[in-house]
Amino acid sequence: MKNLKSVIQYECMTSFKYIWVFYAIQYACVGLIYILTGLVMGTYEDMGVSALEMNSIVFVSILGVLGFKEDFKMLIQNGFTRKYIFMATLSLFCFISGIMALVDTVVGNVIHYVSSNYSSMYGAIYGYGNLFMNWLWLFLLYVLVCSLLYLGILIINKVGKKVSIYLGVCLSGIVLLIVALFRYVFSAEVVADMLEFLMKAMGFMTDGTINYLFPALSLLFIVIVLGIGSYVIIRRTELN
Amino acid sequence: MNAISIQNITKTYKNVTALDNVSFSFEFGKIYGFLGRNGAGKSTLINIIANRIFTDKGEVFVDGLSVKENMEVHEKIFCMSEEDLYETNLKIKDQFKWINRFYDSFDTEKAFEIAEKFNLNTNMKFKALSKGYQSIFKLTVALALRVPYVIFDEPVLGLDANHRELFYNLLLKEYENEERTFIIATHLIEEVANIIEEVVLLDKGKVLLQEDVATLLEKGYSISGLAKDVESYCEDKNVIGYDELGGLKIAYILGAKSAVPQGSNLQISAMNLQKLFVKLTEKGGN
Repeated sequence: MKNLKSVIQYECMTSFKYIWVFYAIQYACVGLIYILTGLVMGTYEDMGVSALEMNSIVFVSILGVLGFKEDFKMLIQNGFTRKYIFMATLSLFCFISGIMALVDTVVGNVIHYVSSNYSSMYGAIYGYGNLFMNWLWLFLLYVLVCSLLYLGILIINKVGKKVSIYLGVCLSGIVLLIVALFRYVFSAEVVADMLEFLMKAMGFMTDGTINYLFPALSLLFIVIVLGIGSYVIIRRTELN
Repeated sequence: MNAISIQNITKTYKNVTALDNVSFSFEFGKIYGFLGRNGAGKSTLINIIANRIFTDKGEVFVDGLSVKENMEVHEKIFCMSEEDLYETNLKIKDQFKWINRFYDSFDTEKAFEIAEKFNLNTNMKFKALSKGYQSIFKLTVALALRVPYVIFDEPVLGLDANHRELFYNLLLKEYENEERTFIIATHLIEEVANIIEEVVLLDKGKVLLQEDVATLLEKGYSISGLAKDVESYCEDKNVIGYDELGGLKIAYILGAKSAVPQGSNLQISAMNLQKLFVKLTEKGGN
């Protein structure tokens, strides 16, 4: 267990500082753009940005990719098994996502109460009533993005560039096929049932109420599926 | 038995067989030379031992424990890689700090001592180091780890003569201080000839020979003279290669020496490890 602890510490501590570098750059850019736009327009009224969490999603996407590319080599060199590497990477995703979700929840809500022009991503969808669910939803969303990108990079590494391109093309084809199925094949009743299911999965019930737990459970389910996929692939991954 | 036991390993890459049913052992308490030409399969086998890649067939055991996805061998074996697998943005002193957390058997103090002997600046990031100093960092880590089996894959890559000499001295000192197994995969055969006790020679994915160095050098010799005299002498011998220059011929032989016929101009000479290696592996390529 000492080894597992050390490898988790390595993953988390070596990435920790980059969170603050990211936030420093993000808020500096937003501040600068705000001031410059205000000076050009001659007024600061009706100005605002929304959903700064999108930037965090970009950041965690990069983390998902680098989570494999850099750390796999370093940890396999130091004698760790793929199981340990996977557990450490997952811990890193949870650690970073947890902190960033906390910062974004606090900042999003504070800015919204200071300036109603600003809407956080969660607030825009579910409102501002529940801070804990806001954090949990963002946390799971960030872990999901990390896991998705991690799985993607593991697949690319496993099958190679050429096959990855073919897979990408196939994926685009599947998306088009799904759109076509919805439009031309499925009956209106089937489409309505599917949409209702998806809406419920996002927490929007048919009686107009919002179930705050359902979206969290839906995200958790997807994270588990992606995690299982990543684990299956990493167990077969070789150093290139 | 305390050993790295390689059992029936086969590994193929598309149509190329990198290792073909390879079986042998690296016993505990010896310094091995792990030799072979480029593409012989050395690095592939090292990567399999280090659990970096998988076999198609066969298994590797360290002191009876399978190396495949097994954390129990973590404190038993370390493979210094020819490739740069370390986090390039970390300072050397931070690399030492983390390796100390990863391994119970890592001696940080010794790592800094060795680094100082090589004038390795521990405040620099790995990526800022020259190729030679990157090799120095990697071999410093390997030397400061007190695990029973340490494998060096091209340890002196990019090192100048002074640093190479220093490395060999430190390696011998470590070996004297604490019994363990050092396996050195290298192309600089003559440099390690006086250090290694046993040699494993890999050629085209197969073990060509595994022998004690002293015995091997005793068995190997060359005979030179007029071509027809040399050919006549070699009739019943295990000739591993020839060199020719005009009417003169040199034959390289493995086996017991027999006296040269009286009155002939034949001359018997000892063969060094490098020549032996070249002659054993030169068939089928230059």
